[in-house]
Amino acid sequence: MDAVERHTWVVSRTVLLVEDDDRVRRALRLALEDEGFAVDEAATGEDGLQRVTASQPDVVLLDVMLPDTDGFSVCRQLRRISDVPVIMVTARTDSHDVVAGLEAGADDYVTKPLVAKELSARIRALLRRAATAGENGHPHRRIAAGELVIEPDEGLVTRDGEPLALTRTEFRLLVELATAEGRVRSREQLLDTVWGYGYFGDSRIVDVHVARLRAKVERDPAHPRHVITARGLGYRLAV
Amino acid sequence: MKTRRVREHARRGLWRHLRVGLRDRVILLFGLLGLVLTAALALTVWLLVSRYLVNQRMNTVVDEARFNAVSVQSGLGQYGLSVPEVMDRLATSRSSFALLNTDGEWYASAPRQGPRSLPSDLVKLVHSGVPATQRVDVEGQLLIAVGLPLDRSGDAYFELFQLDDLNRALSILSLTLVGAALAVSVVAMAFGRVVTRLALRPLAELTSVASAVARGDLGARLHGEDDPDLGGLARSFNHTADLLQRRVAADIRFAGDVSHELRTPLTTMLNSLELVQHRREELPGSVREPLDLLSEDLRRFSRLVVDLIDISRYDGQPAGEREEVRVVDLVRAAADATAGRPVTAVDPAAKDLVVHADKRRLERVVANLVENAELHGGGCLRVCVDAEVESVRIAVEDAGPGVPIEQRDRIFERFARTGPRRVGGVGLGLAIVASHVSWHGGRIWVEDREGGGARFVVSLPAEEV
Repeated sequence: MDAVERHTWVVSRTVLLVEDDDRVRRALRLALEDEGFAVDEAATGEDGLQRVTASQPDVVLLDVMLPDTDGFSVCRQLRRISDVPVIMVTARTDSHDVVAGLEAGADDYVTKPLVAKELSARIRALLRRAATAGENGHPHRRIAAGELVIEPDEGLVTRDGEPLALTRTEFRLLVELATAEGRVRSREQLLDTVWGYGYFGDSRIVDVHVARLRAKVERDPAHPRHVITARGLGYRLAV
Repeated sequence: MKTRRVREHARRGLWRHLRVGLRDRVILLFGLLGLVLTAALALTVWLLVSRYLVNQRMNTVVDEARFNAVSVQSGLGQYGLSVPEVMDRLATSRSSFALLNTDGEWYASAPRQGPRSLPSDLVKLVHSGVPATQRVDVEGQLLIAVGLPLDRSGDAYFELFQLDDLNRALSILSLTLVGAALAVSVVAMAFGRVVTRLALRPLAELTSVASAVARGDLGARLHGEDDPDLGGLARSFNHTADLLQRRVAADIRFAGDVSHELRTPLTTMLNSLELVQHRREELPGSVREPLDLLSEDLRRFSRLVVDLIDISRYDGQPAGEREEVRVVDLVRAAADATAGRPVTAVDPAAKDLVVHADKRRLERVVANLVENAELHGGGCLRVCVDAEVESVRIAVEDAGPGVPIEQRDRIFERFARTGPRRVGGVGLGLAIVASHVSWHGGRIWVEDREGGGARFVVSLPAEEV
């Protein structure tokens, strides 16, 4: 991948770095800028939330350990004001941190020590699907699944005519299941198509996102009628 | 200390030799004690009762004999009856018979009895005018002989009493006493059993709690800290367990803190260096070699930190999340991605095999083995997945120098250095593999590949879907 292609591809893509360690923030900024991103910085959770509204970043990189408050609650607050893709940065891969981050609304996670090259691959995966959702589909497509109506090109999903507020990743996951037309999609397939993991990723990402999706589209998330678990295989959307 | 232990050992030698446990010993002792006490009691009872019964009987028979003697005397003297008439009128019971010695002749109330049945000492004593009683043994039967001199000199009346009923009563009594003694010792053993169970219950609880702690359940505690006898033990055990739990928690926290503290500066270093590497061409030639060295070792250092944190985190973590993983898919994805080219060869029979695995750990196993083959085995030749009986075999083959037999176990130890072949990475990769494989209930070994090189084989329990 040469530098010219990188730069043309991610023109004006802005990453907001929320990280309390000054040196890490500077090093990541330099490396991400080298990868062709524009970088905005915040040292505290408070500051980070303000920047999200002020500078409308394309993606947020959020450290779990912050001085004023932990990354999970920042993520929850952020979700109330924006559907921007969020990547959690954890120092540990312990179940607790990863699942807590995803449940707080993060779209993906990376662990330290993180290298800008891998990081930019993850960011691109998040941004690419955000773009394909609008560009690549058939025009004016509508998918109906019971009381749900999904319009991939509009980025819209309604239940009995009421629009539902999904994040971009949740929406993309729903569209991916909807286009399978009732067939089962394995966790690995979903990780590949929705998150861009060519190689096996962490299937907890899928499970937590499915849980979040159910909380929004199902009337009774404990007894889902739309997003169905196919035991040992994956998930499918009942149409 | 040592001598005490030796003596202790000698004292317990017999029990230990017989392999009798504490509980059985107590039960036996209880039984023995019961037996000894009741036997002594039974013996005393028997002696007293038999003496009393015999004395009582003596008095009765002497009275009866005296009455009969008077009646004989009066019959012969006052009424002038003949001897047979007198004998017929005697009030002898079924268990006694009379002998009369008058005018030098002997008369008996029963045909088979005669003066021979009487001891001669008794006869002599009675003839000398002294009434006497003696126990005699006639043909194995114990009898009481009572002799009374009559008024006419030379005449004497004897009566022999059978003691059958008394003997029967005494033998019933002794049987009863022996039975009671045995019953009491059985009851004592049962009591001993109950008592030892009660007494050993805290020990059983201690055993189960201690083994729970050993299994990794550090929250297990003994009850009964307020028990006056066992409180000390319970308190000191619980205290020790508290310390252990706190220590383990501190270790885990420490590993987490170290993780964060080391990963954060590593992030700075890796990213800054990556940037410099991108600008490599702009740098003077003399700087490029040290830059490469720095960059390579920084990557090694980073890998070491991640491995160390990984291995310390999984240490002492018996449980984990498992899911059904199609092993072929996982091996193919992990192996091909690590090698950067297709290396996986699949036995068709293994296609549908599923392993209950922690996916990330199993990926790590495959990735580390392939990486090991790439770095130290002259490149990974292929990764085979084969179906076995209720298991799956993953074999990673390389064309390197192989692993000498004497190092085949050591190679899976942490920081193992395999001779002159000082591995470029660090000695944790294979140790992590071994620990993850055993966590999944599998086995790992290394063998020679036909045609040179090494084959690392992982065998995991698997099932068909």
